[in-house]
Amino acid sequence: MRLLPLLATVASLLSVTVAQKPHKYTTFTELSASNKGTRGTVILNDQLFNELTLPPRNYTSVVLFTALDPRFGCVLCRDFQGEYDLVASNWFRDHPKHDGLLFTVLDFSDGKATFQKLGMSTAPILMLFPPTTTGSPSEHMPLKYDMNPNDPSAAESVARWLSSQTKHAVKITRPFNYVKLFTLIFGLVGTATLSKLAYPYLAPVMYSRNLWAALSLVAVLLFTSGHMFNHIRKVPYVVQGRNGGVSYIAGGFSNQFGLETQIVAVVYSVLAFATIALCLKMPRMESAGKQKVAVMAWNLVLLVLFSFLMSLFKMKNGSYPFFLPPLIA
Amino acid sequence: MASPKSQQKPTSTLFKDPAATESVRSILKVLILLTIAAAAVASRLFSVIRFESIIHEFDPWFNFRASKYLVKHGFFDFWNWFDDRTWYPLGRVTGGTLYPGLMVTSGAIWHFLRLISFPVDIRNICVLLAPGFSGLTAYATYLFTAEMKDSSAGLLAAAFMGIAPGYISRSVAGSYDNEAIAIFLLVFTFYLWIKAAKLGSAMWGGLCALFYFYMVSAWGGYVFITNLIPLHVFVLILMGRYSGRIYVAYSSWYALGTLASMQIPFVGFLPIRTSEHMAALGIFGLIQLVAFVDFLRGQVPTKQFNTLLRAIVILIAVVSFVGLVTLTVTGVIAPWSGRFYSLWDTGYAKIHIPIIASVSEHQPTAWPSFFFDLNFLIWLFPAGVYLCFRQLRDEHVFIIVYSVMSSYFAGVMVRLMLTLTPIVCVAAAIAVSSILDAYLAIDSPDDQDDESDAKKSKKKEPAPPTSGSTGGFLSSTAPFIGIYSVTSKAMVVGSFTVYLILFVLHCTWVTSNAYSSPSVVLASRMPDGSQHIIDDFREAYYWLRKNTAYDAKIASWWDYGYQIGGMADRTTLVDNNTWNNTHIATVGKVMASNEEVSYEILRKHEVDYVLVIFGGLLGYSGDDINKFLWMVRIAEGVWPQEVQERKFFTARGEYKIDHEATDTMKNSMMYKMSYYKYTTMFPPGQAQDRVRGAKLPAEGPVLHTVEEAFTSENWIVRIYKVKDLDEFGRDHFSATAFDAGKKKTGKKGGLAGRGSGKKGRRLVRA
Repeated sequence: MRLLPLLATVASLLSVTVAQKPHKYTTFTELSASNKGTRGTVILNDQLFNELTLPPRNYTSVVLFTALDPRFGCVLCRDFQGEYDLVASNWFRDHPKHDGLLFTVLDFSDGKATFQKLGMSTAPILMLFPPTTTGSPSEHMPLKYDMNPNDPSAAESVARWLSSQTKHAVKITRPFNYVKLFTLIFGLVGTATLSKLAYPYLAPVMYSRNLWAALSLVAVLLFTSGHMFNHIRKVPYVVQGRNGGVSYIAGGFSNQFGLETQIVAVVYSVLAFATIALCLKMPRMESAGKQKVAVMAWNLVLLVLFSFLMSLFKMKNGSYPFFLPPLIA
Repeated sequence: MASPKSQQKPTSTLFKDPAATESVRSILKVLILLTIAAAAVASRLFSVIRFESIIHEFDPWFNFRASKYLVKHGFFDFWNWFDDRTWYPLGRVTGGTLYPGLMVTSGAIWHFLRLISFPVDIRNICVLLAPGFSGLTAYATYLFTAEMKDSSAGLLAAAFMGIAPGYISRSVAGSYDNEAIAIFLLVFTFYLWIKAAKLGSAMWGGLCALFYFYMVSAWGGYVFITNLIPLHVFVLILMGRYSGRIYVAYSSWYALGTLASMQIPFVGFLPIRTSEHMAALGIFGLIQLVAFVDFLRGQVPTKQFNTLLRAIVILIAVVSFVGLVTLTVTGVIAPWSGRFYSLWDTGYAKIHIPIIASVSEHQPTAWPSFFFDLNFLIWLFPAGVYLCFRQLRDEHVFIIVYSVMSSYFAGVMVRLMLTLTPIVCVAAAIAVSSILDAYLAIDSPDDQDDESDAKKSKKKEPAPPTSGSTGGFLSSTAPFIGIYSVTSKAMVVGSFTVYLILFVLHCTWVTSNAYSSPSVVLASRMPDGSQHIIDDFREAYYWLRKNTAYDAKIASWWDYGYQIGGMADRTTLVDNNTWNNTHIATVGKVMASNEEVSYEILRKHEVDYVLVIFGGLLGYSGDDINKFLWMVRIAEGVWPQEVQERKFFTARGEYKIDHEATDTMKNSMMYKMSYYKYTTMFPPGQAQDRVRGAKLPAEGPVLHTVEEAFTSENWIVRIYKVKDLDEFGRDHFSATAFDAGKKKTGKKGGLAGRGSGKKGRRLVRA
């Protein structure tokens, strides 16, 4: 019984819109040409949105619901806007008369009522309103684009989605990045000049064996203490534990925190340095007494730190049976 | 060893006359090496003793199958082998897409043993090949290290290499994989390279090329050699250490090695077309230039020479840069992409090649893994590298370059720990042997006689040609004196002995606990501590072998392809070779879609059985439900419209299998086949998945298009038979509904009639 008035309104609207159909489409194409937005997009408000999406439609319209106002702090919206504008401008470039596909944007500040009506609490949302050919209600339902926030080439994904959902083939050609090219060229020239000028000063450093030894050791220590794991998995530096404490050793064998790897790297480096001291420095000491003390000291450092390392490893792998005194975890 | 050198070794003071004990020491060396080899082999036999002589894991099953094919059909058939029993219906040009080195090696051993009337089953050769080669690896490490320092360091390195878990992880008995022989070849090729570079001999360069060829035929990791040797040469040139020796060694290795490597069908023209081989080619060009310039320098007066040199360098740089760009743009040289590129751009694989990112051994390495695999070698490693900087002969540069590169690679990918292990053993052996050299000397310097003794020791110090210029290197400027106190000596030697013993214990424990499981057979402990063997995989594969037609096609996730081919001897759709991403995505789609979609794909591929691995009952976490997201992701990569990862997550973004699971999840083939009838194992409403730790919905899934054919003892392997078309031409949904005693609806049947039962009832009521 509620269906009847609804049908009536739809019918009446139908008659109205049929009359102004060519009108409506041209309004929007004109709007897109004159609008303040990017070339090829129409900036909507509540009224325009209703008009645009009201069936029947003989065109496809894409609506981006967004919230660009800095008050909302929607980073995703801003990121996506560029990609969306790229799609729109590409379409507009290839099809100056739009050819039945309209790209529109409805910002939250212009269309609060619409956002409420559609029950949207997040942005950005991209919707596709296909043309209506028959009158069946299912056709009026817009399609929603599945937004992937980590998509590095969102424009291409949107274009692919549009091409698969509509009869329009949307192609994307990204504009050539001249800024990048020139930065690269100037960077190269700059580096070349700088190195040419600085060469007389840098040469002795560059041929310094100590420098290269230090660099190699730092690299080796960094990599063997699991730095690449931190880099790839983006692990936290430390984690706020329970009781307000800070836990800096990750539980589990194949997991680690940033601080943890640094501790391990330091332990490795001190152990390695103790070994080097024992085999290179000690035999070169001239005083017998000093040598004895130094050997003892380094030996002790070696023992304590290795013991610490073993206990650290036992923390990571509970079933590990070995330990080294003095530290027994 | 050469006697002038051994005279300087502190250890030689044990024997007052080194020349007289030369033969004794040689015999000792041989004995020690033999003992090390025996220890290396013995420590890899845990799995054979605990379980049986069985091939492990996944890839070895293919290698084993290929080896059987080789000994059965001969070499030429093997070379041209087209395998129509995998990748159905595509097949695989197996002979042209594998590294034949491993199979040919075991085939050769098999033939040799038959020749001396000692027939051994090919399986036993395959199982024991890796331990056998580990003995050879220890020997190769000895040779390599002896070139770096001396033979005592060599013996230590051999011992480390023999038992280091980092290498054992890939070479226990039964782990019949390419790495089994490849690590030996890697170390030996490097030894030959060092020899060639030291002597400037084309013969050693040629030998190096020969073993490089062997390596190329055995393992895709040969690219490591292809890049490391040029890098070594490049660094030497940058250091101003170009010499005729380097030129001869590199040119002979590169020319012969590259030509030889191109004979492997799988490699073919890659060495001149792909980016990962370009470094070797570029350095080959560079060294020709450097040699030419070096030649000119002797002929032309200095001033003109400099002008000429500058002109040549600029010209060549421009020409080669333009050439490289043109070749890359025109596509002759493959652009930076693929497996090797993902080592540099660590985020690349996850976005572009999920199939690589999905493999667990391609994950980055956390620090405990390093310590687990190398124990105290890992902190001796930097010390050894540092010691190499002291003398910094050409071969020491090699160690340094190798260390930095391989520690990076090992950090990025767990699997590449394997290439790091040899150099860690070598560097650590250098460090330990330096310590022992200093602290094991029986003669102590005289305290009173400081001055003169210092001078004497300075003369005694090993004096290689370059040691005059240690470049003011830290901690080696003062003259070598020695250790005065016996207590100090005893303490240092004592503590290092403890560390060494601890290392042996650690290695044994790691090998026994972590690396000796065949993963085909699982072991668990009973409450009373006795071992319980879980043999579901073989049970199921044997069932397939005995109860299905020889040409039955089995669909399973690609992980199990090789095992099905090897153990069940049935045709598979996809396997661990992963050469065709679309085909794998097809299987992924079968698992991720609902029954209607899947059934159609299964019929089109003439699949007879579908096999899934389910660990829910036993708590076996490596099962298909846990791998399921990767199947979805790979399928989504090919059919983004039909399979969507997002739909498998709940609204809160969780991956659930209990009552919160999404409909897409619950209707997917994988879910249905995993949990089909699973609830009947438990009292009503109590069904629990022990892997995910979740309670299952009381109502289990219903299957229409496949029927359960076999479930193994612990439910790990579940096999389903794909139903034939219905005799009466119905679709399977209405057929099962009919069988369940529900009336078939007349017009509303069809595929949409999954709720047909319900509708039928309503009709009856009306």
